[in-house]
Amino acid sequence: MTLTLIGVNHRTAPVELRERLSIAKGSEAEVLRPLASNGGIRGSAVISTCNRVEIVVSSEAENVIEPVVELLAERAEREAEQIEKHLYVLRHRDAIRHMFRVASGLDSMIIGEPQIGGQVRDSYQIAKNLDTLDSTLYALYEQTLHVAKRVRTETGIGEHAVSIPFAAVELAKKIFGELSGLRAFLVGAGEMGELTAEHLKGNGLEAITVANRAFEKAVELAGRFGGEAASFDNVGAQLAGADIVIVSTSAPNYTVTAEQVRAAMNARRRGDIFLIDLSVPRNIDPAVGDVEGAYLYNIDDLSEVAESNKAKRLEKAAQADRIIEKEVDGFLKRLATQDAVPTIVELQRRLDEIRQAELEKCLRKMGPVTAEQRQAIEALTTGIINKVAHYPIIRLRESASAPHEGETIRETIRKIFGLR
Amino acid sequence: MVSPTLSLYLTIAVYAVAAGLVFLSLLTRREQLQRLATMLIGLGFIGHTIWIGTICSTTHHPPLTNLPEAASFIAWVLIVVELALLFRFKVQAAAFFVYPLVVMLLATTAIVSEPFAPPTPEQTSKIFIGHLLLTMVGVAALLIGLAFGALYQIQDRAMKAKKRGALYEWIPNLRVLDIVSYRSMVVGFAIYSAGILAGVLFAYNRHGALTTFGAKESGALVAWVAFAVMLQAHLSGTFRTRKTVGVALVAFLATVVSIFGISRG
Repeated sequence: MTLTLIGVNHRTAPVELRERLSIAKGSEAEVLRPLASNGGIRGSAVISTCNRVEIVVSSEAENVIEPVVELLAERAEREAEQIEKHLYVLRHRDAIRHMFRVASGLDSMIIGEPQIGGQVRDSYQIAKNLDTLDSTLYALYEQTLHVAKRVRTETGIGEHAVSIPFAAVELAKKIFGELSGLRAFLVGAGEMGELTAEHLKGNGLEAITVANRAFEKAVELAGRFGGEAASFDNVGAQLAGADIVIVSTSAPNYTVTAEQVRAAMNARRRGDIFLIDLSVPRNIDPAVGDVEGAYLYNIDDLSEVAESNKAKRLEKAAQADRIIEKEVDGFLKRLATQDAVPTIVELQRRLDEIRQAELEKCLRKMGPVTAEQRQAIEALTTGIINKVAHYPIIRLRESASAPHEGETIRETIRKIFGLR
Repeated sequence: MVSPTLSLYLTIAVYAVAAGLVFLSLLTRREQLQRLATMLIGLGFIGHTIWIGTICSTTHHPPLTNLPEAASFIAWVLIVVELALLFRFKVQAAAFFVYPLVVMLLATTAIVSEPFAPPTPEQTSKIFIGHLLLTMVGVAALLIGLAFGALYQIQDRAMKAKKRGALYEWIPNLRVLDIVSYRSMVVGFAIYSAGILAGVLFAYNRHGALTTFGAKESGALVAWVAFAVMLQAHLSGTFRTRKTVGVALVAFLATVVSIFGISRG
């Protein structure tokens, strides 16, 4: 059985083509049913996300590319030649490696992003529900999900934040641990500030107070976060009650000063404060960083954290690729063994049929025999066919480690012994 | 039956390999090495417990009456607390401080190597045994408090400077470090104070004086004052200052002096 994967992704095709090819949730049958009715294709599945559309098929023969490309061209309402230059076609080993890499997040735009694992799982579930998977694709999906889990656990590739809002959440957790029960104070209505507050809220923050020069905007934002609006002139007083302060205004001077933070820290007595300055020019006095218990990060500091995390993910991707290469070898071996099993079973059955037939003939000629005599003849004939089958079976098992040569061996043995 | 000396040497060897592994994990950044080190510490702990049990059954008193025994017992309590914190908070980073300290204490036990002896009549006194037990447990808790305090200082400076050191990934969040360090100090200080008080009572009963001033007693007193200053710094929220680091260093050295000042009788 051969696996073939045909598709486009964010690196090979522009968004215009990807959106034409994309398969909306619930309409996968439109692709998988026609493929299932193709005689050469035993199983098929499709992975469709905003960055990729991929079809993986298992077949006896290798000439399954054409029907798949035609189907994709039809969906894109283009000529096959027009989309071919954007397609990649991966066969067997490369297809398996690709599936493992995709599910582990190594082929994603942001390396290590976790959503793709769930999307591959969904694709498996959909194909299962539509009954378009054969045993090879079942095994491939099971192994793909196992490998993705292993890669994430052993390398921790998805652990580090690679965007500014997530970097802020990561740092907040490094200071406070759990964010539940904490209060944030958002000053200004800058886009990045909103986004950061949203991420913090999503991680369990208890309450957000919003202050903005235009009070109506503060009320609107506070409403979105389920918090309170505060006067922009009252920033200093709000600091004492906040654990996290996000400042994102377009003010030309410092909105938060070291004196204000020092006074807030004294009013709190204990407890750290994390200040995030997303404004350019900066709105928090850099001297705030010298106040005990105050941790000040500006937009460049957060970008640096995100960049260094990206570099870390690349290092981990190399480690992940080594794991994947080993897993590909193991899976290929398993597939080849799976291919050899039917031939072994059929060979044993064929030889036993011959033995039974010849034994009956012989016993008819011999006339009555005792139970012990019959047992002895049975043992003798079984011994002979086991000896005859011994080396062919060994060769079939060995063929598992050499997929291409293995097919030739299986074919030869089938011909010699007259198997189907 | 494994001889006591052999079980002690085996324990030291296993602890030393574990300490080496956690340092190697710093260089290679492989978490598996830390897991292996934890398993070895668990294994060593069994040997250590057997050794302490052997002393108890041979001498019929707790293993606290001379320097080798006391050093070994403090190391044993340190491992108990470290393992408990590891399972509770998953804080592997404290191992970088605790494991070498444990190896050092047990090496002291092996080098000084005094023979096991039955207790003198004074050593069977309940106040004396209470004094030893409380001070040892108190010292172990205070040392753990110092280790977590040191981790706090390292992480606080890394966060302030926006530079991630080698330990950054493995040190837990500042709040956990603060809680563990503070609680260890509070509990340790209370137990240690009770232990010192029991010691003073014992000295008064024995010598008619509140205390004598040898290295052990002076070290214990300086350590007590230094730990009191640290606790006060914790309570007032000024524990991040360089002054506190200096006081912590004094507390640690004074504790070491008081441990090494322990002699029989």
